[in-house]
This record gives sequence, C-alpha cells and structure tokens, in this order.
Amino acid sequence: MELLVFVVISTIAIASALGAILVKSPIHVMVWFLGFILSVAASFFALKADLLAGLQLVIYAVAIVVFYVLVITTIPWEKVKMFEGFYKKEFVFALPAFLFTVGASIYLVINSRLSNLRQPLPKDNVSALGTVLFTKYIAPFELASFILLIAMIGAIIFGKEKANG
Amino acid sequence: MDKYYLLLGIVLVFIGIFGIIIRKNLITMLVATEIMLNGVNISLVSVSHFLGKVDAQVMSIIVLTVAASEVAIGLGLVVSIFRLKGYEASEEITELRD
Repeated sequence: MELLVFVVISTIAIASALGAILVKSPIHVMVWFLGFILSVAASFFALKADLLAGLQLVIYAVAIVVFYVLVITTIPWEKVKMFEGFYKKEFVFALPAFLFTVGASIYLVINSRLSNLRQPLPKDNVSALGTVLFTKYIAPFELASFILLIAMIGAIIFGKEKANG
Repeated sequence: MDKYYLLLGIVLVFIGIFGIIIRKNLITMLVATEIMLNGVNISLVSVSHFLGKVDAQVMSIIVLTVAASEVAIGLGLVVSIFRLKGYEASEEITELRD
C-alpha cells in the first residue's frame, strides 16, 4: 500500500515538474506547478508531516501561486514574447549530464545502507514540531522572520521605483 | 520506503537545475528554483521520517520562509527588468550568463 502511494505521488510529482519546465506558456507553467505543489503536499502527508503539508498547501498552493499569476497578468504579453524557446546548445549538453546524475544518484541511494536508528515519530506532529521550533531552534526562527522583513522592505523599494519612474 | 522519498527529492532538485539551465523565460526559471526548493523539502522530511525526529521539519519550515521571500524579491526583479528593458524579451538579459 505504501509503495502504491509512493508510485502515484512520485509519478505525478516528476511528470508535473517536467511539464512545468517544458511547456511554453507561463500560465500553463503555473498550472503544472500547482499540480506539483499538491503532489509534494501529498508526499508530506504520506511521510506523516501534517503541519508541513498544511503549510505547503496554504503558503505555496495559495499565496505563492496567486502571486505568480498576479505578476503574469501585469506583464503585457502583446509586447513580450510568450515563448522564447530553449537554449539549444545547453539543452544538448545538459541532457546527458542530467540523465547521468539522476542515474548515478538512483544507484547510490538504492545501494546505500541508511542508519538503523529507526524511532517512531511523535504521535502529535504539530505539538512536537512547535515544541522543538520554539525551544531548540528559536534563533533560526527569529532569523527567518528577519529575512522576511528584509524581503518586504526590498519589495516595497522596487514598487516605489516603479511608481516614480 | 524512506529511501525512495529521498530519491524523489534528489531527482526533483536535478529537474530544477535542468530547467534553470535550458529555459530562457525568467518566470519559468523562478518556477524551476521553486521546484529545487521543494525537492530539498521532500529530502528533509524523508530524513525526519527515517530518524524519527522532527528537527529536519523545522529546517523545512525555514526553507519555506526563504522560498516566500525569494518569490517576493524575484518577481519584483522580473517586473522591474521588464519595465527597464522596455518589454522586449528576457532572452536579451544575458549579462550574468555570458
């Protein structure tokens, strides 16, 4: 049963990730990307990370995708080329390297021996995660909020420049 | 079982790198970056499931915040570049690539 769930999730994830980087129109890219995000959230549920799956749905599938679509609609596509093609030479050279690295990592991971420290995850994922987040990792948490503050200031500065010029 | 999820994360990171290398469109390149970040998240969560500790999920939350700020800054830059270059095409923006 677990294997079946994994096969379904990974097929959808890899297919929609490849679709997102290969289709032409930016709006179609966003649709493929939305499918990718949903499959990633499903894999978080399968790995018993409930809080992260919820955050994935709320932050990625709602906030970030809507933000992308908003920006895509503000670009005047009658002046900008919708599809600019691929870098041909890079494609020819990158494809064998991509296939080789994927094959090598599949070989290495399948033949690797992970540690035997298998402990069951805590029953209540949200309370366990919150406890660790607000005690042991309080400094990275504060740093993350600082990163968000800097990003907000930067976005405001970009917006002001557009309004003035 | 966790090995396979780890493998899925690694493959997704490589797909993201591949997308950044081959595409010309700036928005698609940002989406490829997001795919890479999600691959890292899946790897972290599978390791957390394997070890039975939630520490890796905390790092995954921090990756989520970095992704949110990356989208805010990156899309602002994309719109600014299109405005600055006079809405031509993003294939002309190759100062850092060449």
